[in-house]
Amino acid sequence: MSNRIEIFLTLSAELTAFSRFDLLGTGLAEAYLGTLDRVVGDDITDTLLAAFVALPPPEDSTRSQALRATILGNELLGDVARSLTKLWYSGTWFELSYAWTQRFGPKPADATFVVSPDAYVEGLLWKAIGAHPAGAKAPGYGSWAYPPKIPAFPGSSTAKSEAISVHLQNAGIMS
Amino acid sequence: MHTHSSIRTLDELKEFLHEAMRLEHATIPPYLTALYSIKPGVNRDAAQILRVIVVEEMLHLTIAANVLNAIGGTPDLRRPDFVVSYPAYLPDGETDFEVGIQAFGREALATFLKIERPAIRPENLKAGNPLIQRRTAPHKSMLGSHPSNNEMHFYSIGEFYMAIVCSLKEFEAKAQREGGTIFTGDISRQVTSEYYYSGGGELLPVFNLKTALDALELIIEQGEGDGGGIYDGDEHELAHYYRFDELVKGRYYIKGDKPGHPTGPQLQVDWDGAYPIKPNLKVAEIPDGSELRAATIAFNHRYGDFLKLLTLAYNGQPSLLLEAVPIMFEFRNMMLELIRNPLPGHPGLNGSPTYEIGRDVAAQEVASQAEAVA
Repeated sequence: MSNRIEIFLTLSAELTAFSRFDLLGTGLAEAYLGTLDRVVGDDITDTLLAAFVALPPPEDSTRSQALRATILGNELLGDVARSLTKLWYSGTWFELSYAWTQRFGPKPADATFVVSPDAYVEGLLWKAIGAHPAGAKAPGYGSWAYPPKIPAFPGSSTAKSEAISVHLQNAGIMS
Repeated sequence: MHTHSSIRTLDELKEFLHEAMRLEHATIPPYLTALYSIKPGVNRDAAQILRVIVVEEMLHLTIAANVLNAIGGTPDLRRPDFVVSYPAYLPDGETDFEVGIQAFGREALATFLKIERPAIRPENLKAGNPLIQRRTAPHKSMLGSHPSNNEMHFYSIGEFYMAIVCSLKEFEAKAQREGGTIFTGDISRQVTSEYYYSGGGELLPVFNLKTALDALELIIEQGEGDGGGIYDGDEHELAHYYRFDELVKGRYYIKGDKPGHPTGPQLQVDWDGAYPIKPNLKVAEIPDGSELRAATIAFNHRYGDFLKLLTLAYNGQPSLLLEAVPIMFEFRNMMLELIRNPLPGHPGLNGSPTYEIGRDVAAQEVASQAEAVA
């Protein structure tokens, strides 16, 4: 993988709170970087990636504040980063705000659209709420009898193993 | 009556039926992995064919468990060697061939055709001993061999099942002459269609010789076809071999077609439309501390849990099969994620489920650490 997509993945992991493994598991990382390039242009994408690389290192306590100040709070990059986060969660690119377009000029490809049929299916929101996309990834007859399985997020105290043992407890084979 | 001396006792027959379960199960990981390696939006025909076949293999596993239960056996899918180490080996006449975990593609399909190929003995070998001796490396997982002697191989899977059929007949005739029966199993242990939806065939209770032979016939016919014909005995369903052949030929079979010459509608196969997983990947090849390694181990644990649940279902709690269904769909999601993640240190290759169940040292380390913490 190229350095560019590596940076894109690390940025996306930080924006979505999902791991690189989860993001790559959607099979859509390259398609989403391509979407960003096509909609806002390579130059703005590169500015976003450069701003991310320039953040203090992960172990530095000022990093999260710097992320807010230099990316999410930035006039140019903030709306783009938010649209990118929503893209990962929903598979849909949401049109940038009116204010952004007024300030930086309209982008011809910037409309609200679903990237591809599998982008809808692989939206992180389904995983985040322990559900499945309507009409796809069917979880099996009777699965609705079990509580939804919410994955553990970085910083959360819920261990992943707890989240996945729910079915077996119901089946009575694990104490 | 001609008898196969390869099975001498009822206990040995039970071991043969365990081997049948192991054999039927062994086809499921390769088919499932190939199915889930297919990229979204392509190879819809291939995915549909693989899905139908894998569901039928699950049915065959359950049928073998039913026959084992009918003669008073105790199906156990938690045995350490139940899940084979891939690549495993299946008999193909005088030699063996490799069955591995790999992405959908021409090579995978060539293996699948061999798995389902009806092996016909040449005339000069017709009267021969059904068992053929050949050396087997000790670490190799052999399928379709004698349960108590890894070096005694059957000529084909068909002959392996014929040995079971013959000894069922022989032992039952002998038991009846003495006023008894070998079908002493508790009928409530039978898994029937009410516990098994979209099953790819009927799941009927096994309680006597006739029902046992009918059940085994379904396994043989769905795989190889009925005596060289392309459809099964009831002329409804295309045998697995010919379903895979449709993908190779790029055409569907229709009623009346001769083997090897389908004349139905064309179908499209995108041979590159699959994620490039590393064949027969092992956990040990995935860098320590990587998310991919942790997820691969988590999948193996989940699969092991699933086999525990199936064991309970086959031992008097058939309704647990319904609870196993959501776990199967959970696997699908876990497998898709493994298959789409690049394998660190192997540019151009992706991860894969490894199916190291009960033989995964790293997993045992994690488990013992977890116990120590608890």
